[in-house]
Amino acid sequence: MPLLELKNVDYSYPSGDDDYIQALYSVSLAVERGEFVALVGCNGSGKSTLARLANGLITPDRGFVTVDGMSTDKKENLYDIRKKIGVVFQNPDNQMVTTVVEDDVAFGPENLGLPPAEIRERVDWALDCVGMREYAKSGPFRLSGGQKQRVAIAGVLAIKPELMILDEATGMLDPEGRAEVMKVVTDLNRREHMAVVMITHFMEEAATADRIIILDRGHVVADGGRELFERPEVFERAGLMLPLPVRLAGALKKNGFDLGCPLTVEQFVAETKRALTERKTDGGGGSR
Amino acid sequence: MIDVRNLSYVYSPKTPFMSQALFGIDLEIRDGDFFGIIGSTGAGKSTLVSHFNALIRVQKKSGTVIVDDIDLAAKKVDLNRLRATVGMVFQYPEHQLFDDTVEKDVRFGPKNLGLSVEEQKERAKNALELVGLNYSEFAERSPFELSGGQKRRVALAGVLAMQPKILVLDEPTAGLDPKGKREIMDLVMRARSMCPTVVMISHNMDEIATYCNRIAVLGKGRVVGVFTPRELFSNRELLENGAVSLPLVTEIAARLHEEGIDIDPALLTEEELVDAILAAAGRRGGDA
Amino acid sequence: MRDVTIGQYYPANSIVHRADPRFKLLIMLLYIVMVFFCDSFFSFGFLTLFVLVTVLISRVPPLKVLKGLRMVIVVVLITTVLMIIFYRGEGEPLAEWKIFRIYLDGIYASIKLAWRLMLLVVMPTLLTLTSTPTELCDGLESLLSPLKKLHFPVHELALIMSIALRLIPTLIEETDKIMNAQKARGAKFESRNPFKKIKAMLPVLIPLFVSSFRRADDLADAMDSRCYRGAKGRTRMKSLKFHAGDVIALLVWCIIFVCVLFLKYNWFGWAFIAVIGL
Repeated sequence: MPLLELKNVDYSYPSGDDDYIQALYSVSLAVERGEFVALVGCNGSGKSTLARLANGLITPDRGFVTVDGMSTDKKENLYDIRKKIGVVFQNPDNQMVTTVVEDDVAFGPENLGLPPAEIRERVDWALDCVGMREYAKSGPFRLSGGQKQRVAIAGVLAIKPELMILDEATGMLDPEGRAEVMKVVTDLNRREHMAVVMITHFMEEAATADRIIILDRGHVVADGGRELFERPEVFERAGLMLPLPVRLAGALKKNGFDLGCPLTVEQFVAETKRALTERKTDGGGGSR
Repeated sequence: MIDVRNLSYVYSPKTPFMSQALFGIDLEIRDGDFFGIIGSTGAGKSTLVSHFNALIRVQKKSGTVIVDDIDLAAKKVDLNRLRATVGMVFQYPEHQLFDDTVEKDVRFGPKNLGLSVEEQKERAKNALELVGLNYSEFAERSPFELSGGQKRRVALAGVLAMQPKILVLDEPTAGLDPKGKREIMDLVMRARSMCPTVVMISHNMDEIATYCNRIAVLGKGRVVGVFTPRELFSNRELLENGAVSLPLVTEIAARLHEEGIDIDPALLTEEELVDAILAAAGRRGGDA
Repeated sequence: MRDVTIGQYYPANSIVHRADPRFKLLIMLLYIVMVFFCDSFFSFGFLTLFVLVTVLISRVPPLKVLKGLRMVIVVVLITTVLMIIFYRGEGEPLAEWKIFRIYLDGIYASIKLAWRLMLLVVMPTLLTLTSTPTELCDGLESLLSPLKKLHFPVHELALIMSIALRLIPTLIEETDKIMNAQKARGAKFESRNPFKKIKAMLPVLIPLFVSSFRRADDLADAMDSRCYRGAKGRTRMKSLKFHAGDVIALLVWCIIFVCVLFLKYNWFGWAFIAVIGL
């Protein structure tokens, strides 16, 4: 049974007096334990709606959403669903309930009714995971955006969910903050085997995921591994920009210099170096 | 032209709580510059640009700021004239929208300048068209019903309607998706037909590299230096102490350079990089 | 505006920080009542002494405490001056100028008022500096918990307070930002006419409301997502435990209270007379 499953989900939200805007059209997808998925799409593609559907903040108009077999339609399931799926939202300022970092991280486990000693243990563990232990006693006002988001991640982690959804959690951060959050998230996936769904429009971030789902105006238009990046037309049609290394490789290929499909800066540099050396030896062999 | 001479600024002066934000800043922003200001949080960027619009007044014996021919260190400053000269766009400017129609909101600035109603309307119309919003379609709509990108354009139009000669932007593209970022920067470039001088605070090195002709690096309330993009991104000292990070394109160029490939490490645009790699490939083939 | 100390905890390791917030709140209550019983310079001095001792053992730098009082000091100074000017005493005024007369009584009375006001705010400020808002809310929740039997929403009240404390500084900062943005568009807020002033503030108030609602929505989502379902089945990481020290502190303050009462009703005098009489 998949951890999270959406089947033929339609969703629309009210706009103006009696108008509705349909955000999702018959969306079906499943996320398994331990996966690292990037959910990408432009503003207005319906990707944030998907996050809110997944943990039952909203319910579909048609179709169903299940978490470990439990439907989000039933109110009595929501508590157990939210134990399994944690969500980190976009605005770093609007997620902290209290004025002290560790108290905020404790909010989730406190809601679970755990004994105080275990809450303490989970809070310390979660803060260690995101590297914010030394800020345990400080208030949110002295923290940078990236640090606040790491606290928000710790707050979700302390519930020990099986899947963490990051709903554009890096959208409001500067490049430094974005890198901090990305590192924490990839570590969580690799070391703690937590399933991650990254909702983002930064393609460089999406390129670190194992699986990419592309949303375009409410439709899932592609769902696959990193080989998707070899089909740039899919991204372009959805109004997305490819990661820089892929763009560069594409431009080079047009000029007869084929690097394959490097996704990261490291891969691009390595591939370019290899290709240049090869060409040198090839060219050298030909002229001799 | 903005001429800053020996500008210092102290918060809460003459109290035990004083803290100095700026130390003897010297800057000259020339007409027609696209002037970048970068520096980490707390470097004094916002304090500095807030002076340009007299939102922060020059303190006694703390240097001078001259905008065009307006001396901001003078006892009395003609605020109306100053604010018609310098347009200020803050971070997330859409958060300042308040009126019930787009047109009225955009007219707010011209109205405060004491212009006639016809003139206000004329300017609102021009400003909306300048930011790419069709006047007849958007004028009577509520700004709160618009999409995020549209809201930001309306807010920008609200500043452009004052027809400033100098535009000051604080992180104009924060929180937008890549397409939205490019659209906003495109229309800033278009607005330069009216206000040729632009000052931009940004953390986004790609934007700094693409748009700015001169860049001031601020650190702890002092000007570390003023550079052209090429000087800036090849300045080893600044890169090593973390004051400046590289745009992704430059980072790739620098790494290739490090790998011993014959490429200028301070390339700024994708086209330059593609050409350089092709040239390296071609020349190496030719040499052999 | 930015230096409002509400909810600005100053972390340090002192007896005052470690004390049980319930006891701190009780002492605070006792203290405030006590301040109203003080009416002589001697009793003010007596109480001030204990306040100073408390500040010292709290290990909060006195400057930090003063910083929290900055706004209050201004208000107190203005009241004092006004009171000196407008006090109508009996007998000869010390000085006279046009309609203003200054009386010695007036000076005494206003100094007392100023002193009382200062005493009234110092300790609550110290309380917020030495206890996190969460601790205070927990303390209050615990003290009020008997009311739960009467179906009084104690938990909800404590949570609302905690969230308010969390958001107030954010909203102050936001107000500042929006005001600057509107000023940059030529807005003027300095109108004397109160009606015009309110109208001039609309471009600030409306965006502020909009953003507050957005924040409230976001926060509600974040809380729901973290399994919040009210007080039901909820435990706390930091359960409140009181120690001998807390009880002793409360006792000490009770004794101080009794001394203040003695000073106020001159019981020392009566006791002295009684002893002499015997």
